[in-house]
Amino acid sequence: MIQLWRVIQQGARNFMRNAWLSTAATAVMTVTLCIIIISFISNSALTSTIKGVTDKIDVSIYLKDTITTEQRDLIRHRLEATGNVRGIDYISKDEAIARFKEKNKNDPLQIQAIEETGNTLPASYSVKLKDRNKLDSVLKTTTEPAIRPLLDDKNPASITGTRKDAINNIIKGSNFVIKLGLIASIIFVTISTLIIFNTIRMAIFTRRDEIEIMKLVGATKWFIRGPFIIEATLYGIIAAIVATALSYTLLLGTGPRLSSYIDVESTISFFRSYPALIILGELVVGIFIGAFSSLLAMSRYLKL
Amino acid sequence: MILFDRVTKVYPNQQVALSGLNLHIQPKEFVTIVGSSGAGKSTLIKLMTREESHTSGKIIVGGLDYDTITPRDVPLVRRRIGVVFQDFKLLPNRRVGENVAFALEVSGARGREIKRAVPKMLQLVGLSSKEQAFPNELSGGERQRVAIARALIRQPKILIADEPTGNLDPKNAWEIIELLLKINRFGTTVLLTTHNKEIVNALKRRVITINRGRIIKDEEQGRYTLEGGK
Repeated sequence: MIQLWRVIQQGARNFMRNAWLSTAATAVMTVTLCIIIISFISNSALTSTIKGVTDKIDVSIYLKDTITTEQRDLIRHRLEATGNVRGIDYISKDEAIARFKEKNKNDPLQIQAIEETGNTLPASYSVKLKDRNKLDSVLKTTTEPAIRPLLDDKNPASITGTRKDAINNIIKGSNFVIKLGLIASIIFVTISTLIIFNTIRMAIFTRRDEIEIMKLVGATKWFIRGPFIIEATLYGIIAAIVATALSYTLLLGTGPRLSSYIDVESTISFFRSYPALIILGELVVGIFIGAFSSLLAMSRYLKL
Repeated sequence: MILFDRVTKVYPNQQVALSGLNLHIQPKEFVTIVGSSGAGKSTLIKLMTREESHTSGKIIVGGLDYDTITPRDVPLVRRRIGVVFQDFKLLPNRRVGENVAFALEVSGARGREIKRAVPKMLQLVGLSSKEQAFPNELSGGERQRVAIARALIRQPKILIADEPTGNLDPKNAWEIIELLLKINRFGTTVLLTTHNKEIVNALKRRVITINRGRIIKDEEQGRYTLEGGK
């Protein structure tokens, strides 16, 4: 235990002695951890946004006015049998006209027109999907010989009106940002690893006399290597604290403005609920990068 | 205390440093090893401190058979032997007291034990007043005293002094030799290598002369002679 404490002390002392190199390595590590956490925030916020958008995707299937209750149930069963249905709402003709009136309450001409022609709106099923990408399975049902004659000829099945393209674009954009975050994280983790590797390599070189003395007075390999691992681990610990504080400030500062575009509320709420988990995650990543890089440098340059 | 039985050391470049060397040093002896550069003195010391491994033969130091030790045991071997070098090998950014304490720290001694032992050792080498000084604030002789204090702090049975006076003026050199004699009187086996003829001749102790990896002369009260015994 006393040896471990001495190794930690020596590592901390080395960190202070190499102030400039340590600062540079810590700064790069901070940038890396910031990118990782921003990538995590973007991923979480965009996934939440995508979910919110896809939740709103409904497929409307319009029914003939002459349809019987049994035929209506048959359509429902066939749709449910696709396995991609999260929920089906039946909208009767009366409900359809009520919704139309509510939607057009500020347009008296539209309301007048529908009242004059009588209720021409068909009853329909509003189908919520489990997986937006498997839309075809639901649409295919509407073309089955047993089902097709029961549907309204004038109104084919439609996907939440004209927003489909916009929704697809949002999803594509979000997926691109998520991938970009992942790639940037990998690039910066590699850069950090290389910089810490080089910092420890230089430290080994500048302390070669000290290492020789340690060997001569009977220091174990662990006692000689330990301070280098501690030194690199310190880069990770300090960087994790700074990166968490920066990202937290950034998220809380820009969150209200971003919430008009993407769903950051759940991410902010997660940050507020589990700050210890966030910092722990950052510490684990920071310590891992530091320790891994220093072990790599020692295996190459510190022959004992 | 130290036994070399037909020890041979051949380096990877096929250079033969020691060739069937036999050496037996008793406990509490003060032995001086002399020889020209490349004679094998440094290799002899490196084998004792396990910086190098022997090619053949048997080495027993302090009861420890070097054929049976593993790389993991090497630090433990080094803790049982005190070594002093010509270039002192002190940590420049640590104070005198910290340099001496360092040898105890690596062996896991407790802080209280270190605080008690360091002043005593500095007193023994005559550096009580320099505990807080850095090595670059000391003279060559004082630095060598710090190195001796560090070598002795773990109370080893054997002290190897490899050219300890090489960088010192005659006055300081003699002070170091007197210190080594004092340590020897306390019961530590001292093995000294030197090129200093005056010191060897004045010591009137056992002198072993090595040439081309072999012992060519071993005298109880020897004198410094060049190879060939002249």
